[in-house]
Amino acid sequence: MDNLVIQYRPRKLDELHYHHGLSERLKSLASSGDFPHMLFYGPSGAGKKTRIACTLRELFGPGVEKLKIDQRVFMTPSRRKLDVNVVQSNYHIELTPSEVGNYDRVVIQEILKEIAQTQQVDISARHRFKVVIINEADSLTRDAQAALRRTMEKYTTNMRLILCANSTSRLIAPIRSRCLLVRVPAPSMEDVVGVLEYVAGRACRGNSPDHAACTVVAKEAAGNVRKAILALEALRMQNPLFSEPITVAKPDWETYCQRVGDMIVQEQSPARVMEVRAKYYELLSHCIPPTVIIKTVADRVVDKVDENLKADVMHWAAIYENRMRVGNKKIFHLEAWTVKVMSIVKHFFYDIDLTGFDDYP
Amino acid sequence: MTKPSAPIYLPRSSVRAYTYDGKPVFIKRRSRDTTQLHPSNTNVRIGNLLDVPIHRLMDDISVIAARRLAAEPRPAGSFSNSSSSDMLWVDQYRPSKYTDLLGDERVHREVLSWVKEWDECVFGRSANTRGKKRARDGDDLPQDKYRRPPEKIMLLSGPPGLGKTTLAHVVAKQAGYNVFEINASDARSAQVVEDRIRPAVEIGFSVGSTKPNLVVIDEIDGATGGNEGSAGFIQKLVQLALEKPYAGRLRKKDRKGKQPLLRPIICICNDLNAQVLSKLRPISRIIRFSKPADFLLVKRLRQICEWEVLQADNRALSTLVGIAQGDMRGCLNTLQFFKARNQTVTETMVRNATVGLKESDANYQVVMNDLFIPMSQKRVKDLGLSGNDQAKYVDRLSRQLDGSGIMDRIALGCFEHYAKIHQHDATFTRYLKGNDWLLSYDTLSGSMHAEREFALLPYLSYCLVPYYPLFQQKGGPRVERPKEYWDNYNKTKASEEVYRSLAHSARSGGSGVGSNYRNLANEPTLHLEFAPYLNRIISPPLRPVNSQVIRPEEKDILSCLVGIMVALELRFVQERSDDGQLVYRLDPPVDVFVTYDGKRASDIGPSRYAIRQLVATEIDARLASKHVEALERSKVKQTLPSLRRYVPAGDFALEGSGDQGDGALASVTSDAPAAKRAKAVADLFEKPALDFFGRPIVAKPASKRPSHAGPLPQGSTESAFRASFRFKEGNSAAVRKPVKMASFM
Repeated sequence: MDNLVIQYRPRKLDELHYHHGLSERLKSLASSGDFPHMLFYGPSGAGKKTRIACTLRELFGPGVEKLKIDQRVFMTPSRRKLDVNVVQSNYHIELTPSEVGNYDRVVIQEILKEIAQTQQVDISARHRFKVVIINEADSLTRDAQAALRRTMEKYTTNMRLILCANSTSRLIAPIRSRCLLVRVPAPSMEDVVGVLEYVAGRACRGNSPDHAACTVVAKEAAGNVRKAILALEALRMQNPLFSEPITVAKPDWETYCQRVGDMIVQEQSPARVMEVRAKYYELLSHCIPPTVIIKTVADRVVDKVDENLKADVMHWAAIYENRMRVGNKKIFHLEAWTVKVMSIVKHFFYDIDLTGFDDYP
Repeated sequence: MTKPSAPIYLPRSSVRAYTYDGKPVFIKRRSRDTTQLHPSNTNVRIGNLLDVPIHRLMDDISVIAARRLAAEPRPAGSFSNSSSSDMLWVDQYRPSKYTDLLGDERVHREVLSWVKEWDECVFGRSANTRGKKRARDGDDLPQDKYRRPPEKIMLLSGPPGLGKTTLAHVVAKQAGYNVFEINASDARSAQVVEDRIRPAVEIGFSVGSTKPNLVVIDEIDGATGGNEGSAGFIQKLVQLALEKPYAGRLRKKDRKGKQPLLRPIICICNDLNAQVLSKLRPISRIIRFSKPADFLLVKRLRQICEWEVLQADNRALSTLVGIAQGDMRGCLNTLQFFKARNQTVTETMVRNATVGLKESDANYQVVMNDLFIPMSQKRVKDLGLSGNDQAKYVDRLSRQLDGSGIMDRIALGCFEHYAKIHQHDATFTRYLKGNDWLLSYDTLSGSMHAEREFALLPYLSYCLVPYYPLFQQKGGPRVERPKEYWDNYNKTKASEEVYRSLAHSARSGGSGVGSNYRNLANEPTLHLEFAPYLNRIISPPLRPVNSQVIRPEEKDILSCLVGIMVALELRFVQERSDDGQLVYRLDPPVDVFVTYDGKRASDIGPSRYAIRQLVATEIDARLASKHVEALERSKVKQTLPSLRRYVPAGDFALEGSGDQGDGALASVTSDAPAAKRAKAVADLFEKPALDFFGRPIVAKPASKRPSHAGPLPQGSTESAFRASFRFKEGNSAAVRKPVKMASFM
């Protein structure tokens, strides 16, 4: 018995449930013989990696599913050892260089050099090149991206790159221009419901959830299929008969962030600043990325505050989130944003009072 | 007023009054002219007198004196005292007797008594103080074989110039030792311990001396630490100190050069919290030096000035001591410098000469206090600032921040402190400003470190200075060390560790059973989606019943759950909690991800002991069945096909069916053969009886049996099978009934 996300993951392009046009294009691309470097981008849980895996299978046949997983050790110039998890088959290699943070350049250079310098050993392989998949390409440092651009041109005989990213905005333009950009948009609500019904029909024989239940789950997931299926599985475990009422579990950090948002809106005082700070610490210690925290809290605050303030709150959230990426200590930025929002809210109330005074003769 | 005297005629200016019996009384008004006018005159004059404050006048006098001195030709006799001029005063006036020592008496006595505790070991006689101390302390200390004090090393710490080295030397001399000094400034490698300290300690006496050695290691915080296995100075020293006393007969033969430490070692450092000392600290007795009282220093300086025929007024000397902050060495050096120039010391000269002295000595506490608390008058005086300088804070504070060298910690301290200050800040203006500055600090330092642009460093301090005008407050809450951030940092590290182990098992553990969790092991997905949902997936609302009487739907869920937990290498580990109860703990503890503020998420039901026990046994069974599958697969490869034929799976079932009794192991796995195997293997793996070639021995009687089955008597058949049972702690819902041995065979 396996997790549903894994068990019912499509393996071939034909099995994919949505974006059929995209699947067709990928199929013809894989069979055409000249396969370009590719950049898959789109929101989380839209099926980028699934499509990459399917494309690979289309390219090389079922051999790509024989995987070897190992941990490679790289040495930085400053003699620090880095462990990187590498998944590879005879035809491709997959890695997540952002695991090593600032030293990703070393990993990129070493791996690409190694792949580029060796020819395909399997004589019967359909293509002469190997494929390198780089996950989370948008969190590559500038150095690493710069290291990529030359190798992408130089070693095209032996190697193709497939990059996988959430957005293209953090990739430098030279990389974008060297790739074929493939956008994998989030599936529509009906698509998600379709997937859920398919999975549920296979997994829970007998008492599978009805259409309404699937819709509830899909709505909660907001276009993230992985999240939807995980939620479905959690639901199945908690409530095997899918009896009413159906409550879809939210991730705890999300609930917690929303509570923080409420706290900010409720009261604006130094004491509250301290309380909110403690909450932020709690979230950070659970390894929730600070950018996600600020986004979720800001969403909640925007929901709750007056219409006139919404734009301001989001504006400042964007600014502080941007600064946070440059800075070191994330908590400073989170708190600065909180104080900013509190001051905006307070000013807003004072302004109403003041204008009231002004109108009075 | 009621004077009963005859009415006297009074001038008009007098006041008429009446006594009780109606007699008018005239009270004469006192004439004002003299008594009223004079005091006012004197007041004015006194005001005039104080127009120039007395200290200003004193300053003026000292300036004039200095000028006159500078103008005067230097008297020829100033260098007549040749014996002193070629020697540093610091050395010349170094205390040589215990009674000459300056500073905290208690510290001195503590050091001396520690050294005295060695007397029994070194000199073989009991110290006088020992008896008294014993009586007080009681005999709870375990007696060392060599009658040494419990801590073999003494660590003296304190800022420079307070007389640590001097104290060590004086005490050693007082206690009758010969000082063997190692200076970590010139010898700081591990080799020194072997080459010089060990001989000095082991031989115990230096050449041509009858006194035993006492090793003084000065400036030990500059020594090499030796972390991660490499043998640094400190590491070696710790080894030396901890060498176990052993039986005397083994000496010199077996463990050459490994004698226990038999001589006292005193280490001296400035920074007690230095990283290198972390290993030394727990095994040594730590003495902290504090600044001696100012008046003691002034007294001593005064005495020295008298000896050196140097005219110095008390004001000048106390200023000097104030600036030096107790650093006697600094004071003496400065004084000698004056002496070389002229005969008199004035306050202005002291001020001018000591610009920059002790500037750099600013630790966290001092800097934070200066940032958040307006300067006290005393500190203003110590720093020698005038009213104008006091208002100009930017330069002063930024220099101090730069000098501290711990700007990151100060920034954290500011962050943690500013919100604690109770100030009325209705619109958050000050908070906003403070945060803005903090952000610019963070951005600046972040990019400085990322891009290695260390030219930005001088500008960093200016980002923290604004906290002074924004948040300075008298009598605010005490400044504390930033600890929240580090607590959080440690917690984050801990949960990262859990994530990592989860990700690892998702990558590798899953692959063992042919599943593929690695796509869920990527960082953001794992943190944001997988971990929270996983916790819900693995805690279904099961009823705590025996696995055999479970309902079919629940059976499905259970088997699902077990599959997922096995694939992700999640286990329930039995443990005894603090109050002695047995609990099943999830390992790796992925439930931390749904625990916020110490509470579990409300929509996850509490996981009860019975359920966890049930799941744990199921997991064991599943794992066991996996094992046996793997074993059978490997057996197919290893054993000959002919032998294989004689080892039917039924035999295993027979072997294991002895387990029926305890019931706990009974399985609910869907397919019947797997269940049988699971039962079988539980025993198999308790005693994995394998022969030399790795074949299971149980196979042998089984293979022989067909040939011997007939002729053998009942008894020998019994010996061929070993009935094994296992007692499992805990309760089980199994039905107990008497079973004959024969039914198993």
